[in-house]
Amino acid sequence: MFVSLKKHMETKHDNLNPQESLELITSMINQVKGNMLNGSFYFLLWGWVITFCNVGMYYFFKYTEYQNYAPIVWTLCIPAWIITMIYSSRQEKKAGVVTHLDRISMWLWIGLAITILPSWIFGAQTNWMVNAIVLMPVGLATFLSGIIVRFRPLILGGITFWIAGTLCYLVGPIEQYLVGAVAMVFGYLVPGYMLKKSNL
Amino acid sequence: MLAELDPLLHSQLRLGIMSILMSVETAEFTFLKEKTNSTAGNLSVQLDKLSEAGYINIEKSFKGKKPLTTCKITKKGMKAFEEYVNALKQYIKP
Repeated sequence: MFVSLKKHMETKHDNLNPQESLELITSMINQVKGNMLNGSFYFLLWGWVITFCNVGMYYFFKYTEYQNYAPIVWTLCIPAWIITMIYSSRQEKKAGVVTHLDRISMWLWIGLAITILPSWIFGAQTNWMVNAIVLMPVGLATFLSGIIVRFRPLILGGITFWIAGTLCYLVGPIEQYLVGAVAMVFGYLVPGYMLKKSNL
Repeated sequence: MLAELDPLLHSQLRLGIMSILMSVETAEFTFLKEKTNSTAGNLSVQLDKLSEAGYINIEKSFKGKKPLTTCKITKKGMKAFEEYVNALKQYIKP
């Protein structure tokens, strides 16, 4: 069997002219183009988790006596991270291919997590004004993701976070959680559902 | 004088494999098989040739109980591909 395959390859070898070579290269590159993994799952997961955390913080601060315990809601991010890591490794295996843009996207979001982690750990020192600090880099990552997958609603989502992040400095420390929740709905959830529907 | 085309790349399947690997970070055997429309046996032979030449790295692992072969282009492979394309340009120039 291998002998006949080899012969077949040799024949192909002889027949391949430069024009055909170029056409082959182009067609192979086109096959891979647009093969990016769909990221809607992450936007929906984190959109819901962070919206819930923001609403939770607002509720604790505004309507309860247990304000010291309020930051506990952020621990919800730990299982969300675990789910994210398991899901992403499964997706990569399922797709059978990892493009350069997939790699860039992955490091963009890991980089974002590293950037915002200190603001959660030392949240008490900034009177839990987490949104004002966090929403700007979240906007940058979302905006760039929109550019990478060429999806306008995500680009607009990124801009929403930038506006919301700026707004957080103007409203009170408790109201900034509401701003954060609304920003998550329009910055992650709406584009996330649109991305899921688009099958991009 | 026209540059010689790298015989290792001047073959339909090997050139196809290298073109795909130039455009991605890593690709699994099944992905390459589907995109190049080749048979498993033929693909395996050509991947070995590219690997022996140091153009690609082949990593073998397991996905559950199934063997998983992941391919990645090397720096040497990238250089060879670029030189091949540059040589092609000379042939195509009017």
